[in-house]
Amino acid sequence: MQIVIASGKGGVGKSTVAASLIYLLKDRYKLIVVDADADAPNLHLLFGVEKWEEEKELTGAKVARINQDTCIRCGICYERCPYESIKLVDGKYVVNELTCEGCGVCKLVCPVRGTITLEEARSGVIKKTTTRYGFPLISAQLDVGRPNSGKLVTEEKEWAKRIMQEQRLDHMIVDSAAGIGCQVIASIGGADVAILVAEPTPASLSDVKRVYKVVQHFREPAYLIINKADINPGFKGLYEFAEQEGIPILGEIPYDRAIPYSMTMLKPFVEAFPESKASKALKEIAKAVEDEILK
Amino acid sequence: MQIAVSGGKGGTGKSTVVINLAIALRDYFDLTLADLDVEAPNDHILLGIKLQNEEPVKLFMPRFDYFKCIRCKKCAEVCEEHAIITMKDGTPFLMPTLCSGCGACQIVCPVEGAILEGKKLMGYTYLTETPYGFPLVTGKLLEGEERAMPIVVAAKKRAKALNKELLIVDTAAGTSNTVSKALEDSQLIIAVTEPTPLGLHDLELILKLADIIGIKTWVVINRSDLGNKDAVKELARKYNARIIAEIPYSENILKSYVEGKPIVLSDCEEAEIFRKLAEEVANYLR
Repeated sequence: MQIVIASGKGGVGKSTVAASLIYLLKDRYKLIVVDADADAPNLHLLFGVEKWEEEKELTGAKVARINQDTCIRCGICYERCPYESIKLVDGKYVVNELTCEGCGVCKLVCPVRGTITLEEARSGVIKKTTTRYGFPLISAQLDVGRPNSGKLVTEEKEWAKRIMQEQRLDHMIVDSAAGIGCQVIASIGGADVAILVAEPTPASLSDVKRVYKVVQHFREPAYLIINKADINPGFKGLYEFAEQEGIPILGEIPYDRAIPYSMTMLKPFVEAFPESKASKALKEIAKAVEDEILK
Repeated sequence: MQIAVSGGKGGTGKSTVVINLAIALRDYFDLTLADLDVEAPNDHILLGIKLQNEEPVKLFMPRFDYFKCIRCKKCAEVCEEHAIITMKDGTPFLMPTLCSGCGACQIVCPVEGAILEGKKLMGYTYLTETPYGFPLVTGKLLEGEERAMPIVVAAKKRAKALNKELLIVDTAAGTSNTVSKALEDSQLIIAVTEPTPLGLHDLELILKLADIIGIKTWVVINRSDLGNKDAVKELARKYNARIIAEIPYSENILKSYVEGKPIVLSDCEEAEIFRKLAEEVANYLR
């Protein structure tokens, strides 16, 4: 089974919750974990990963280059670039590689053949390791300023599927990025179940509603976990949303100042502070995940 | 002039910093705030306002006139996104979700009028007057659409067109090319981080990006009492970035956040941190 954990908004504790859930389930199920937040991966930090066993470079992204020797400075590329990624610097047209999407329009409109070329650029790396807890982890790191591509996530998931076959694993848990863009769509696409993590704030509600629309698009069953459940007692928005949409709530986790401390220890929260109130809540949620989803 | 508030990781308090800084900076500049976190725009929620003046962002999408199409397959060959597939006889079909709207297919099509201009709705931009004396421009990607870049470009253009003395940009998390697009033309980046290994990891990425683009960067440490600040200081030194403010974990800030009432307008002592930050920014820009 493939389970994706998403939140829409960053900082609601999605990875913290994911790491602890995985920690609680790892002994009873054969798991593989995919960190699909290639922009800001952090599960490897929460699982105390020190080295990677295997790395693969990801190319495929393209950037345009302008040959200044043959460029006639007509400016057509500058006018036609859909993303305003060509700049006029000291009378020369140059491509801003940090915003170029590699679409090739500049190359097509350029009247001097061969002046603008599309070149392959590295977009990042995907990496694999076996955590000290025994399950494998696939992670990725996008290079700075590269297009944030769903292809990266798709590659990660393909790799994970191959490992699942080789090692006869049963479940893939995908920790998705924040937002609703291509990485998130690639994370949710193909999953069997989505677990949404939200906190009781208007901002988190707004974002989780948006990511739920993406989940609906793929017709996947969704569940909700409410994190930092007690920070905003008067706020009923999340419950109303869950009831309206018929989304079962797997559980609530109280705000616990020990959680940020557990991060500095590079351990899942339930491992670092097993007796805390947040850990007790997480244990209940892990049981609900077993009963409702992994049954 | 333009400044940007960014921070590698989501949830570090970037939006909290940006809205409070904007309110404090209105004493120094005539300004616009632009929320370019188009996948999860929240500044309006924190400001406690409803988005207004919706404008659709539509992208070019090819529409084939099959009577004119000569089945040469050039459109499919040129499409970098492989959004156009052809049947055996060369009849093209579009897979709309893959289309980036770049228009390359129309440029190479040898038959005038065989590829017509269709329009695909990608999202919206909004221009909302705030009760704080400055306008907010917001970009919002449509759920199910993958490409954030066109929305970032459209929202930034709308914000720039207001021609205010200062544009304050709130970027998405991470360091992808949409973040670079948002940062572009800034005189200063304010990177918000928290003193945890996660915050540190992502702060380094944004400092790297700022270094490549060549924009001066200041660091704000949020929840500064919850972790080890020394590592943040060391990293800031490595990239020649100044630590400009520290915001301790605060129930008052949390409360103002959930209530949509900016803390800088209160008489809590935390408000002073943002007023001081605004003063530093104003001094730097002037």
